[in-house]
This record gives sequence, structure tokens and C-alpha cells, in this order.
Amino acid sequence: MPIDRRKAAVFGGALALRLLLLLLFPSLPDLLTGRVEVSTPVTSFKRLQEGLFLYNRNVSPYDGGVFHQAPLLLPIFSLLPNAHQYPLPTALLYSLIDLLNANALVTISDSAQAVSGRLYTSIRKQIKWDGAVVAAWFLFNPFTIATCLGRSTAVFTSTGILYALSAAVQGQSLNAMFALGLASYLSIYPALLFIPLVLLCYDRHAQRSPSPPSPVLFVAKHFLVFLSSILALLGISLLIIGDFPTLISATYGFQLLVPDLTPNIGLWWYFFIEIFDSFRDFFLGVFWLHLTAYAGSLSVRLRRQPLFVVTSLLGIFAVFKPYPSIADASLYFAVLPLYRHLFPLMRYTFFSVSALLYASLLGPAFYHLWIYAGSGNANFFYAITLVWSLGLSLILADTIFAALRDEWEQENPDKRGKTVKQV
Amino acid sequence: MIIFFIVALILAALSAGSAASNYHENLLLQPLPPSSLLASFNFKSNTTQTSFEQQHFRYFPRALGQILQHANTRELHLRFTTGRWDSESWGSRPWDGAKEGGTGVELWAWIEATDDETAFSKWITLTQSLSGLFCASLNFIDSTRTTRPVASFEPTGDHIASGNLHLLHGTLPGEVVCTENLTPFLKLLPCKGKAGVASLLDGHKLFDAAWQSMAIDVRPVCPSEGECLVQVDQTVDIVMDIERSKRPRGNPIPRPVPNDKLDCDTSKPYHARDTCYPLEKTAGKSWSISELFGRTISGSCPLADGQGETVCLRTSPLQEVRPSPDSVEASVSDQFTRCYTLPSSESFDLDVPEQVSAATDNDVPLEEPVLHAERTIVGHGQERGGMRIIFNNPSTEKTVDFIYFETLPWFLRPYIHTLQATITGRDGVRQQVPASEFIKETYYRPGIDRERGTQLELALSVPPASTVTLTYDFEKAILRYTEYPPDANRGFNVAPAVIKIAAAKPIYIRTTSLLLQLPTPDFSMPYNVIILTSTVIALAFGSIFNLLVRRFVTTEEAAALQAQTLKGRLGGKIVALRDRIRGKSAKVE
Repeated sequence: MPIDRRKAAVFGGALALRLLLLLLFPSLPDLLTGRVEVSTPVTSFKRLQEGLFLYNRNVSPYDGGVFHQAPLLLPIFSLLPNAHQYPLPTALLYSLIDLLNANALVTISDSAQAVSGRLYTSIRKQIKWDGAVVAAWFLFNPFTIATCLGRSTAVFTSTGILYALSAAVQGQSLNAMFALGLASYLSIYPALLFIPLVLLCYDRHAQRSPSPPSPVLFVAKHFLVFLSSILALLGISLLIIGDFPTLISATYGFQLLVPDLTPNIGLWWYFFIEIFDSFRDFFLGVFWLHLTAYAGSLSVRLRRQPLFVVTSLLGIFAVFKPYPSIADASLYFAVLPLYRHLFPLMRYTFFSVSALLYASLLGPAFYHLWIYAGSGNANFFYAITLVWSLGLSLILADTIFAALRDEWEQENPDKRGKTVKQV
Repeated sequence: MIIFFIVALILAALSAGSAASNYHENLLLQPLPPSSLLASFNFKSNTTQTSFEQQHFRYFPRALGQILQHANTRELHLRFTTGRWDSESWGSRPWDGAKEGGTGVELWAWIEATDDETAFSKWITLTQSLSGLFCASLNFIDSTRTTRPVASFEPTGDHIASGNLHLLHGTLPGEVVCTENLTPFLKLLPCKGKAGVASLLDGHKLFDAAWQSMAIDVRPVCPSEGECLVQVDQTVDIVMDIERSKRPRGNPIPRPVPNDKLDCDTSKPYHARDTCYPLEKTAGKSWSISELFGRTISGSCPLADGQGETVCLRTSPLQEVRPSPDSVEASVSDQFTRCYTLPSSESFDLDVPEQVSAATDNDVPLEEPVLHAERTIVGHGQERGGMRIIFNNPSTEKTVDFIYFETLPWFLRPYIHTLQATITGRDGVRQQVPASEFIKETYYRPGIDRERGTQLELALSVPPASTVTLTYDFEKAILRYTEYPPDANRGFNVAPAVIKIAAAKPIYIRTTSLLLQLPTPDFSMPYNVIILTSTVIALAFGSIFNLLVRRFVTTEEAAALQAQTLKGRLGGKIVALRDRIRGKSAKVE
């Protein structure tokens, strides 16, 4: 296989940039690890270190309020040398994970599933970035770099999701289910991607084989694979930790019930600080219901573009999941360039990009005013998280609009370029 | 016959009880440099185990006894403390620190129970009852403030070896100890503070002291021969500032000393007629019991056993002392201590005049503490911080081995992997060393949000003539808005650490309590937050689902569709009508 020079240049440049930043600013990783925008209670590297410390001393890391991440991370990270004394191996590991993610993105981009699938081919399919550009958008995104240097464990979930997608577009549907199982095991929310992903797998399968299999059987089989891969991972975790109820309540129970209200860029924390106690459980249910409501409805309406449904769902998670961080936003912005052909159809690009820039620049400043300077209060940072969520959801709605318009224009080629209304 | 038998039994029990039951009280006064006085009150009463179980209380307070029986408590230690013991100037602590607690209220008890759950429910019963008895917020000792120390406390009483005892420990560092706690404390005494040394205890003076500690210890004692006893030991230790306590109650505001009475340091270069550097008085100040406490001891408690040495003074043997004439000076145990027996009905006062000779050779030697400990919170901001604990071993030969015990509230999340140690020798050179060099054993139980606090017990050893500093990072949790107290921005109290120095009789040191600042939300706007967040969610949900459920049409098609609706048809009719009217008017012209 000939080495793609542009791809090699992008990958080499990204690795060099990460190592250069580490060498020039040795305190940068610790600074970023401490930022609430990068590390959440479920992805913080410092909390992982604490869990690791307890695990290596035969104390159950889940019998405490600090560590809430998946148990499989513990034996993996205990192989690495102490990150405090030798930061380089950990930084290398995270940079390589980033390159792996970028590689998966290149595969997805090269398959061109974003512009033409089994049921749908865009009329704008020539407007497209190739794999190296998509990888560059991901690798040189400041959010990705900050996540990588901040050593957030969310990148492992991203790897699971991206590999599930890359396996799906290549037609390796069982591998896709395994990868999604891994991502769901690390942080439950990727399980919501099951519906669009299995549709994508089905489409690829049907495209290749002359006689398409029964959809019900296909979905049932893949659901079983997905479930058994999660169960297998949980089984391994049980062998590592032992105390199953504590493990489940400290990891998945923690992500579902949101007891830790450490500030983050999402909408949940301040809402659940301020909510009246009697309504807490009700609104917890409402928020989760809201998050799950999108998976089904998007899959039904955009049945012909399952990969786009996955992309939109990733954006929705970045806004509405309980502990979002910029790692989730960077994953959304990683898959968005696959839809280069939709960009001309978007209406509020300038406004939403400005809102995001405004939020990402003012967010740290307002957080400082609240926590350190004492000259602002919690509302300052809260307002910025509202702007951030608003900007992201504007982009989301706008891309969905663009995708629907693209479908409509493909169906009605004579009406291309006309002003439209929705009724 | 049966009745006679029962009466005989009761009489037998009574006689047996009265033989071993006794009550003893004692007051020790000791001037401390530079101008303070330690007053240490001790009240001790015994009752036999059988009369305790039969609820036959003579000296033992009934209220307390019934609580202990109800809560299956075999040994109880309750402490009310305010202020800070200044070990730099006052030396080692009274009773080797065994009868003091951390700032606020501290309670630990050995409870007999079959398992942990029963022990905890009995513990809750105990704290609730004591809360009522002592007018303290002890009922706030819930699961988040309760710990089960492993190595820091040992039972002081003689327990049956097979007893299934559970040690539970709880602290309330924010509790303000005041007169409402003193009154029930005095009520437990046989003389209720009306006679004997307890008559000196007055809330105004006691809680004006630089440091004060009230302690109650209940424990079973089994002498080598005879029946086992239940002993209740009540202690009040206070350090008063002599100058401050001598101010009359009616006129407590200090006034400047008139110019002509000032004692100036004439050696200062700036000394002039109108500038003065006041000299510290080197000689002991004059004081008397009536001046310091505002009253005299109103006779001895008639229930106390008659053995002498009720009021003792520990001071230089050269010091002149003028006790009340009716009192009897008891035998002197060592050269510094003088003891007096109280007159049975006359009031007793002790006058210690100012000593002119400044010879310090004969002063009571201050005992140097075995270890100095200090604990502070470092760092700034409301997001994270660090704990720094400094241990200083003043001895030049001996290594100090001790247990360091601390409980942290759940909203302070320590990162124990960041625990680091530095050692500073007397030469002032700081050295980073692995913490395992000093920490021989660790017992760590991490806290769980809203369920239990963090418990950390370290077995440490500090080499001679050196200072060891331990540091670790922690993170401050943000709470739900209902979980903050009304004065949220003041901060939260963190309980003092307890240090137990291994010795034949363990020495206890407690650090000061700490104030932890947490990030606070805006308390004024729950409605606004609920509304604003819901609006953002509704906006996203609305716009996305709006796109999903509608279909696209061109503007022309939209106009055509519009025409088919009721509104469209009505509009069309109106236009037609208007056109017709216009048409008519055009014809007329």
C-alpha cells in the first residue's frame, strides 16, 4: 500500500505539535487537566490517577467519591510509568490515540458514505474534502489538542465510536458492534448510537450481497453481539474489581443520577444545583428522556443517511449529556467536515461560529472571575455555558436543515436553488 | 417472706453500693507565662456496676446513666472545647491532652452491639439523647460525620474481653460552646455547682477564657479486688488571661493606663516625654480567686469525700500565698504544689500577691511538648486547594512515633496520590523525600458524596530535631443550593486532626479546626436558572423537531397551499369582495 504523503505529513505534524507543546510548556498538561472545560468528573485524568493509586494498593477505587471511570482503564494505566514523574509515555499514548482516531476518520471519509450511501446520493457529492483534510481538521482543532494534552479519558470513548463508524462503512458490521460495545462500556451514552449504526451496517451489507437479509434478523443478531460485547467487558471488570454492585453504582449509577455537580460546559450542573429537591428526580428523568428522544426520531426522518444521524447525535450529546466537555465537541467537529457538501446550504454559520468563539474565549475568563477573583458569581460562567449550548444547537439544527434540503433538492431537481418554506 | 427477702437484698445492694460509691472534687491553679492562669477542675464519682445496672444512682447522674444504658454505651467521652492551646508559651497540655477535644464538640464512645448497623443505630440514639441533655447540636452527627477510628483511640476502661464493642467517633467543629452547655454540665454534679469548687464555674468567666475545655468521661473500672465500678469523670480546664479576667464585670472595657502610671523602657532611642515603649511586667501579677472568677468558693461540697487537697496551687515555692484563714493546708506532695482543704461552710479565697523578686530559678518548669503540630489549608480559589500538615520534633535525640488521624467532610475530596513529604533539619535545608519514609502504616477510607466523610489514619515517625511537612491536594465540591448553610460564604468547618503519641500513657494533640471556602451558586435565582436552561433546551428541541416533522415546499407552492386553507379561502373571498366594490365604483365614474 503506497503511503499517502499528505496523510503522513498531517499525522507527523500533529504528533510533532503535541510533543512540542509538551516540551515547551511542561506545566500545560497539569493546567489543562485541572480545567473544568477539559476534565469532567467522569473523564478527569487526576481522578484516574487517584483511582489507580488506590487500585495499586488493593483498596477498591469505587468505594469512594472520586473515581467513576470504567474499571478496564485501571490495569491499562497501571502499565504506564507514573505520569507525574515521567509525563512523556502518557503524552505519547494520548497522541497515538489521537492519530488512531484520525486514521478512523480518514477511512470513513475515503469510503464516501457521507455523500453517497445505499439509499441516497447527494447531488453535491463532488463538493468533498479528502481524508487528509478531514484528519487535519480533527488533529489541528484546538479542542482536540487541549483534550489530548489534558489527558481526558473521553478520547477512549471517541476511539470506540469512530472505530465503530469506520468498521461499519467498511462493511465489518460485527467489528462495529464490538467497538460500539466498548464505547458504551466506557461511558454509557454511545449505546444510543446503536439504531443508526445498525442501519448503516445493514445498508452496507445490503449494498454488497445480492439478496439483502431480513432486517429484523439482522438487527436482532447485531443487538446480541453488541450486548454480549458489553457483558464480556463487564465480566472482565468483575474479575478486576470484584464488588459488582458498588462498581455499577459508582460508574453507571453516577453517570445516570448526576450526583456530582462540578461545573462543566453543559446544562445539567447548574440546573441541578438550583432545582428544588422535590423536583430533582422528575427533572432527571425529563433530561434523560430528552436526550434519548433524538435517536429514534432522527433515524426515522433521515433513514437514508444513517451516518448523518450518527453525526447529529454526536452533536446532541456534546450539548445535552450530563457531563459534557470540549472532548465531545471536538468529536462532533471531527465528523462534521465529512459533510462539506452541506456547508453551502447552511444559513446561520457566521452567527453560530461567533457564538462558539465568544463562549470559548469568555468561558475561562468568567470562570476565573467567579472562582478565583471573586468579582463575579456563578451566573457569569452559567451564562457562558448557555451561549455555548445555544451556539452548538444552532449548528446542529442548521446542519439538519441543510441535510433535509439536500434530500429535497435531490428529489426535486427542478426546484434547486429556489427559496423554500416548511409547512 | 418474699418481701422480706427482697428488702434484705436491696439493703445488701445498698450497703455494697455505698461502700464503693464515692465522689471527689479537685481544683488545680497554675500560673502560666506570660500572664495567664490555668484552672483545672476535676470531679470524679464512682458507682458500682450492680447499682448502676439496677438504676440505683447516688453520685452518678441519673440522666446520663439512663442514656448510657439505653444506648448500650460502655464507655463515653464527650468534649466541648473553644480556643487554642498555645503550646509555644504554655508548654505541654494538661492531662497530656487526654481530656480535651478539638474545637467545637467531639464525642467518641464504645458501644456494645452485635454488628455495625446495630452499633450505628445505637450511636444515633446516643447522639440524639446527649443532644437533648447538653443543649448541643450533637444530633447533627450523622453518617457523614461519624467515623470508626482504627488506631487512634483505645478504651481507657476495663472491659470484658469478649464484649462486642464498636468504637464510633464524631465531631462538630462548627459548634459554638457556651453557657447553655455549661448549665447541664453542672447539673450532673452531686452539688449542682452550688457548693465546692464547682461554685466558681460561671459562664461569663469560663467562655471569656483564652482556651477552655469541658470533658465528660464515663468508663468501667475494675480494681484488682472488689466489685467493678462505673466512673464518671468530669473535667473543666480553662486558661484565663489574668489581666482580662480582673476587669470588673460592670466596667469591662479596657481603658488606657494614665501616663504617670506607665512603666516605660527608657533605653529606646525614641523614648521621650510623649513617646513610651511600655515594659512587660516580668514578675508574676497579683491575683486572687475572687478577682479572677468574680466570686469565692462557697464552702466544700458536703457529698465529697473528706480527703483533703481540694484546691491546689502550683507555683514557685518562694511565692507568698494568702489563703482564707479557715482553710487547712494539706501535706505537700512536691516542692511546687500547695494544697488546701476547704472549710465546710465558710467561703474560701486564695490571694496571690505580686512577687517583687524577679528570680525565675524557682518557677515551675514548663514541660516542653513532645511534638508541635500545625495544619493549614493552602492554595487560593474556590475550586481546589491543598492541605499542609507540619510536624516539628523539638527533641534532639528521640524519634517521635505517633498516629495522625483526620476526618474530612465529603465535600472536600482529597487526592491521596498527591501526598508528598518534605523534611527540614535544624540547618534549614528543605529536602523532598518519599512519604513512605515517615509513614509506616496508612489506613484510608475515602468519602462518598452525601454518605460518609473521608477517614485518614497515618502511623508516622518524625526523626529528632527536624520538621516534617506533609502536603496533599484536594478538590472542593459544589453543593446543591439547599445544602449550604445560611452564611454560605463564611465557609465550612473542617474538624481538627487528632494526634496520638505512643507512650505508656498516650499523649494527645489536636490541631486547630479549619475553615474551608466552597464555590457558591447564586442563591437568589433558582427560578431564573430553571427557566433559562429550559428555554435553551426547548429552543434546540423545538427547532430540530420542527425540521423533522415538516416538509419543504417552494414559496410559490407555499402560496398555493395557503390558498387551500380556511384562512386562505377567507382571505381570497375578502379580496374578491374588495375588487367587486372597486369595480362598481369604477363603473359609476
